[in-house]
Amino acid sequence: MNGDRLLFTAYIAGFVALLVASVGLLITAYIAGFVALLVASVRLVRRSEPRLDGGQFPASPRASEIGAGDAVAAYLDRMSGVLRLPAGDVAEVRAELSDHLADSIASLEAEGLDRERATREALARLGSADELGRHLRHAHQSTRRLLAGVGGGVVAGTGGVLLGYLGAMAVTVAVALVLGLAVALLTALLTAIGVPFPDLTYYRTEMIAGSLAIAAGTGTRFAIRTSAGLSRRTPRSMAVPWAIALGIGFSCLAVFGIRGPQGWPDVIVELCIPVVAVAAATVQIDRPMPHVGRWGVAIVVISVIGIGFLFGAVGSASPMWVQTDDAWYMHADIAGPMAPSAWLPETGLSSRIGESGDGATQARFVLNTTTTPIATALANWHDIRGEAWHGTLGLESLDTHYSSPFAIEPADIQNDAIVASFHFDLMRHAGAYWLFLTGVGPDGRRYVLSQGGGGVASFYGSVWDWLTATQDWLTATQ
Amino acid sequence: MPGPIRGQLLKGTTTLLVLTVLRDGELYGYEIAQRIRERSGGAFVPSEGALYPALHALEAGGALDASWRDSDRGPRRRYYKITEKGLGMLEAHAQEWASFSLGMARAVGGVER
Repeated sequence: MNGDRLLFTAYIAGFVALLVASVGLLITAYIAGFVALLVASVRLVRRSEPRLDGGQFPASPRASEIGAGDAVAAYLDRMSGVLRLPAGDVAEVRAELSDHLADSIASLEAEGLDRERATREALARLGSADELGRHLRHAHQSTRRLLAGVGGGVVAGTGGVLLGYLGAMAVTVAVALVLGLAVALLTALLTAIGVPFPDLTYYRTEMIAGSLAIAAGTGTRFAIRTSAGLSRRTPRSMAVPWAIALGIGFSCLAVFGIRGPQGWPDVIVELCIPVVAVAAATVQIDRPMPHVGRWGVAIVVISVIGIGFLFGAVGSASPMWVQTDDAWYMHADIAGPMAPSAWLPETGLSSRIGESGDGATQARFVLNTTTTPIATALANWHDIRGEAWHGTLGLESLDTHYSSPFAIEPADIQNDAIVASFHFDLMRHAGAYWLFLTGVGPDGRRYVLSQGGGGVASFYGSVWDWLTATQDWLTATQ
Repeated sequence: MPGPIRGQLLKGTTTLLVLTVLRDGELYGYEIAQRIRERSGGAFVPSEGALYPALHALEAGGALDASWRDSDRGPRRRYYKITEKGLGMLEAHAQEWASFSLGMARAVGGVER
């Protein structure tokens, strides 16, 4: 089996493995597919790059040696201008025709023509430089090669995205680790409170989106330069269709495809993905790709395994919740006066915060004893509701900059609890929050009925969800 | 003796002529043109401007392999070699040409059925 067939088999195998993996969710098939695509991609790039670089075919000196340099060079320059082939092909065609002209001139001189007439006759036999250039271009740029170029570009681009993503993640994690450890060590030295492990998951969306932006750039350049090399076109001529296709594709990925904790920095980094792809397609696309050797691929693969272990060690981001028994310690009076104890059940109310199945944060307020049904215990109260107030970042207290809750939800009286559910995952600016149960007492005033419970929430969704999220959530739910 | 055949009559025959002379061994561009001239006794003078596009198209189609190497009698040159696919193409073209030339001879006169 020759190299071409092996390569073709490798990337078909890669796509088939990924297809099998997608249907059956087989991790082994995923890994095999990605490795096959990675290898095929690097080989395709290494095969295409020399063709895009004219350095291996220096102009033949023979024509100038025989003293016909100017006329021959002018002819070849004109023909090269029409060729519009990769630099390697142009240099090869020039070298071949230059040799041909040198032979032809020498032969005509041997027949008795002087140098000038021999040169004119040799050039005349080749015909019009424009026509020759056009015919040579058509000979090189066949439909078969164009299809091979598009197919090879897709494979190389996929591998390029993979390689760029893994490489960027490896670098990002390494930098984050070094910086995190440096900060942790400094903190330890200053406060002697120990070395906390850097929480990489806090920056998860930025890291993924940033790595994808680099991956988009790498994949785009892989795709364009490989398809140019295989289809015998200049990278610049291939850049526009690829920039349009990949710009649209990466825009869809950035806006709808990436779901995770979102904030303005995340959204900006995600929107950079298509911008980087288009920039990679248009800025210095004629510049050769850096050489990617087997050691480069090996380092990326090893780094990826390291990242896997690292994320395994750090764990996934989980919400942080706190409770307090002393609401007034943390400026809870901002939320309202505490209900007079005479109007409350003797045992008082406790709050418990957790997640409901649909991603909502659920505050459950329960009686500390269950001898009395909660509806009976709170019979004197009406308009009972849950209120979410901004807290300080470390949840030490309520944020005193705010004088009203940022979210209000009606409280449902269930069997033994009053429940209020908040979709902080759909709110842009929830952040640190405190939840209270409030109600209107017999005197017509609103009071806080229980101690608070707090947590830190973040918006979860795509960029589209973020951009189209309700701005004024409080107004919308009141 | 009639002069060399040029122009329209030669169009479409370049591929057949190139494959024919390359059947005997590897040659570079200028040699191919010379060999065609010699083998036809000077009757066929292929346009050099048509020769190279034809060579490159045959290479792109897989009928020829090309490689740069040092020549026995001079500098480094681009040699063309016929492939298995090229041999198959030659056979098909030769049959077509035989059929065509016989038909032409009959039509023009001089050959009886």
